[in-house]
Amino acid sequence: MVGKRVNVTGIAVLVFFLLLGVLISIRLTGLGSRFPNPVGGAMQRVLSVVEKPMLQLGNGIRDNTKALWNFRNVELENQQLQKKVAQLTGDNLKLKQQVLAGLRYNELDQGIFRSPTLDKYTKVGASIINRNPTTWYRTLTVNRGSQDGVQVNDPVIGDLGLVGKVVTVSPTTSEVLMILDGEGEVSAVVRGSTGSGTFGIVQGTYKRGSRLTPEGNLEMLFRRADNVNVGNLVLTSGQGGVYPQDVPIGKVKQIELDPSGLLKTAYIQPLVDFDSLEEVYIVKVVGAK
Amino acid sequence: MRYILIALMFFLSLILPGTLFHFWAWSGIKPDLLILLTIYMAMHHRRLSSVLWGLGAGLLEDFYLGRYIGMYTLTLLIVAFLSNWLTERWYRDNFLLTTFMVFIVTVAGQTCVAFLGLGAGLQWSLGDVVQLIFGVALYNAVLVPITYPLIHRSFLHGWLRYRPRYDR
Repeated sequence: MVGKRVNVTGIAVLVFFLLLGVLISIRLTGLGSRFPNPVGGAMQRVLSVVEKPMLQLGNGIRDNTKALWNFRNVELENQQLQKKVAQLTGDNLKLKQQVLAGLRYNELDQGIFRSPTLDKYTKVGASIINRNPTTWYRTLTVNRGSQDGVQVNDPVIGDLGLVGKVVTVSPTTSEVLMILDGEGEVSAVVRGSTGSGTFGIVQGTYKRGSRLTPEGNLEMLFRRADNVNVGNLVLTSGQGGVYPQDVPIGKVKQIELDPSGLLKTAYIQPLVDFDSLEEVYIVKVVGAK
Repeated sequence: MRYILIALMFFLSLILPGTLFHFWAWSGIKPDLLILLTIYMAMHHRRLSSVLWGLGAGLLEDFYLGRYIGMYTLTLLIVAFLSNWLTERWYRDNFLLTTFMVFIVTVAGQTCVAFLGLGAGLQWSLGDVVQLIFGVALYNAVLVPITYPLIHRSFLHGWLRYRPRYDR
């Protein structure tokens, strides 16, 4: 048996020319060349029929398994969307609050008591943005301040009656001391069924030293002989220089005789519901003087 | 039946990387199914047949792509020759060895494409080339445990069974 002799030079020459041929072919048929390719064209035409459904199949698989393959991206996207939803929910809530505040202002404006004394003053609408966080004072913070022309001692009224007076003013906010507070005394007049008036001082029962009760109330001291009955209306008297005249404060709810027998205390039910108060008017009495 | 199946597999190897595997690409890296199929063919044929299958597959791909004619022809020819040469030395029933073989032959094939591309004047950065070569090789190797058992069984006992002329 004769073994085949390998002609190394022949193989090397063959490989060289093969490589050369391939390189020349690659060069001639590269990008931009106008190489006629009928075989490729025919293949493209035939295979494109299959390629389209395959691509659609791939699209379908990708779309249906997207969450699995891009789990991290989906998770991140989800987190971002949740943040966005939270932000938009907040914005929506804010807008709703503004719309409701607008409606309440409208109601306040329409339902407010009409007082000839008040009409001559300018009123500034304000929203309550905070209530005193401590238990020492019964105050409210409203979103109007010196920039809106608010000054200390300006009276504050609600839709049904007196709320209090401004005690502190910052450029954008003001603090209102409610009449429920013991320090917020109001010169008042009680009008009986006959229209006769009995003057006195309305005082909040929420006082220093006895602030353990969560709610304040109003009381008024009279002489025993004064004609004051349960159900009488209490209005501001206009004396004292802070509150205008004839602003409703409340109704006499209960009358108690003093142990000494000389005085009697009238407990007054305020007309304004201080707990659900959201919008008020600040009356510019100080500036008008 | 055997030739219809082989033709179908070749056409699928041309179509799938651009369609189905386009969506399963890792950082733009897709498997080179034609190299994988050429390796399988070479593993189950004699040397001359292997080289001819490689040549045919390469021409098919070159014409299908329509540019740089000769690039894949030469590449798949080399791949077929190398696969057949390695199969003669390694045990082809060992799937682990086959996986490793697919990896190194794919590396060789992709390197050949890269060199021929450089010869054709294509501008590739070394980092990209290395990433691409090893990425494709890894992807091909990953596909071996899924595809090879079926194909191997079919080549031995099924529709793809190859019987050399002297055997018939």
